[in-house]
Amino acid sequence: MSTVNQTPATHAPVLKDQIREFIMENLAHAKGITSFTDDESLMESGVIDSLGIFRLVSFLEEDLRVRVSDEEINAETLKSVNSIEQLVLSKKK
Amino acid sequence: MAYILQQLLTKSAARYPEKTAVWARGRSITYRELDERSNQLAHLLRQHGVKKGDRVGLYFPKCVESVISMLGVVKAGAVYVPLDPQAPADRVGYIIGNCGIRALITKEDKRHGLDESTLASLEFCVMIEEATKSSNGTKIIPWSMLSEFPAAHAPEVVLTETDLAYILYTSGSTGRPKGVMLSHQNALTFVEWCAATFEITREDRLSNHAPLHFDLSVFDVYNALEAGATVFLITEDLALFPSRLASFIETQGITVWYSVPSALTLLLLHANVNAEKLSRLRLILFAGEVFPLKYLRQLADLLPHVELQNLYGPTETNVCTYYEVERERLASLEKLPIGIACENTEVFAVNDQDEIVTQPGGTGELYVRGPAVTYGYWADPEKTAKMVVPNRFQKNFEEKIYRTGDLVQLAEDGNYYFLGRRDSMIKSRGYRIELGEIESALLSHEAVKEAVAVAIPDDIVSNRIVAVIAAHDGITIKPSELQQHCGSRIPKYMIPELIEFRDSLPKTSTGKVDRVQLTQESIRAANQPPSEVVSQ
Repeated sequence: MSTVNQTPATHAPVLKDQIREFIMENLAHAKGITSFTDDESLMESGVIDSLGIFRLVSFLEEDLRVRVSDEEINAETLKSVNSIEQLVLSKKK
Repeated sequence: MAYILQQLLTKSAARYPEKTAVWARGRSITYRELDERSNQLAHLLRQHGVKKGDRVGLYFPKCVESVISMLGVVKAGAVYVPLDPQAPADRVGYIIGNCGIRALITKEDKRHGLDESTLASLEFCVMIEEATKSSNGTKIIPWSMLSEFPAAHAPEVVLTETDLAYILYTSGSTGRPKGVMLSHQNALTFVEWCAATFEITREDRLSNHAPLHFDLSVFDVYNALEAGATVFLITEDLALFPSRLASFIETQGITVWYSVPSALTLLLLHANVNAEKLSRLRLILFAGEVFPLKYLRQLADLLPHVELQNLYGPTETNVCTYYEVERERLASLEKLPIGIACENTEVFAVNDQDEIVTQPGGTGELYVRGPAVTYGYWADPEKTAKMVVPNRFQKNFEEKIYRTGDLVQLAEDGNYYFLGRRDSMIKSRGYRIELGEIESALLSHEAVKEAVAVAIPDDIVSNRIVAVIAAHDGITIKPSELQQHCGSRIPKYMIPELIEFRDSLPKTSTGKVDRVQLTQESIRAANQPPSEVVSQ
């Protein structure tokens, strides 16, 4: 598992853990991958494939309750754990 | 008329030298450049000892150099072997060893991942980017060396249409991939049929969605070259995002699209496509798996101006039958036909009495005859003898026909319909997957005593894969460990997404693992609503 940075008491680390855990359990393991960093490109490492993207989007919409538009499903927004966290945070403001 | 693939390029380069031949990752090259660079590469390969019939591996992600390499290798009289850049190094190493590749065109990060013995077996590597120094004995040749070689003409090599052009590796039931040998004639039979049937012109803009080790890409690349058209190579970063892919099709003015149905389904479901945006698109070809009628109907309604063609055929024959979607019949169709034989190809079904099916309603295994049929599998005469067999239905002369292993039905309308497989090969996202190859990967883990891979039918990707495992007594192992183990042996699309553990697997009366029961149980479990799973 990747390391969690020590951050001030906000909701961010919890959210990031949730995202990381979902990707690890539901996407990475099924691709034979057991570790990735929060910054790593999930597409380049093969964690996320064409169907994985939509499982991830369902997770964001159903579990984290943010609405993701078709246009937001792109290589920058969904690149890494960090960028996905940013997407969710920007929606919750 | 062309009888070897490179003649398609030579002809178009003479007619349209300044036209764009290939576009990839924001870069493009003209026909003149493609012709010259591939001539240079052919000379370079020859000078470094590549001879007629030698196999040259192509091991890097899709880019302009992919097409230069394909053409450069055949111009050298050699045979190219596209290696999946996403596959585990172990599998790539096996293929390199299996077909005796000694020259590899690659990138440093790919070369670096290969194991020592594979690297030691290579005589040289041509690096498509700036080369770094070799860390071991392999000779490294930077791409920039191409400029040292003659550009105007390819080396003199005597080739006929019966020489091999490329080898495509597909999943093998005994646990290792097998190399399908394809000759220039095999490829051109298909390319020329496509050119005539789909009337590809130099105005066309073809997409290349499939990976280059997948036979769908033969159409994209060579039919573009044949017509003097442009082929746009779609890379992973683009292919993954339907909305982005749709705007790519729109802005690049793609006119001809060929992919597996699941790629089209994702476009349909997750990109806001419509006829206005894709007004230049005129033809969609799909192959590799069954297109669910539900989505095909939606696609047909959404893009009323686009001709839709269902192509069918295994790598061993490329496409052998086709069906032009009839919109007026689409609502009443219960199943999508695979259609009728392509020109210069004969197909027939052989029933259990070993007779050719001639009456509508009859079912049997589909056989293919003609110049599109492969010679067989590289270095595997046993497997070849099983699948590429003497034609026992005509005795006048010796010829081989290919047994597809697909069960089909001949219908009243003259079309064939796909019914299923005779063996345990399945399709997922158009990829051929032998469940046996997955099981071998699982069984190679020391903790695993018994393993069965099961295909769960799925609306979008055709099949999902799960596995049922019995471990050796007293050993516990996590699913993720086994998935990781698989990841080092088989491609990601073959790794079971779920692994279930049991004390032992159910057996049939003859003591074999009961696949039928396991499959039924797994499908039932997969279709149950996940209500009992507590999230978080």
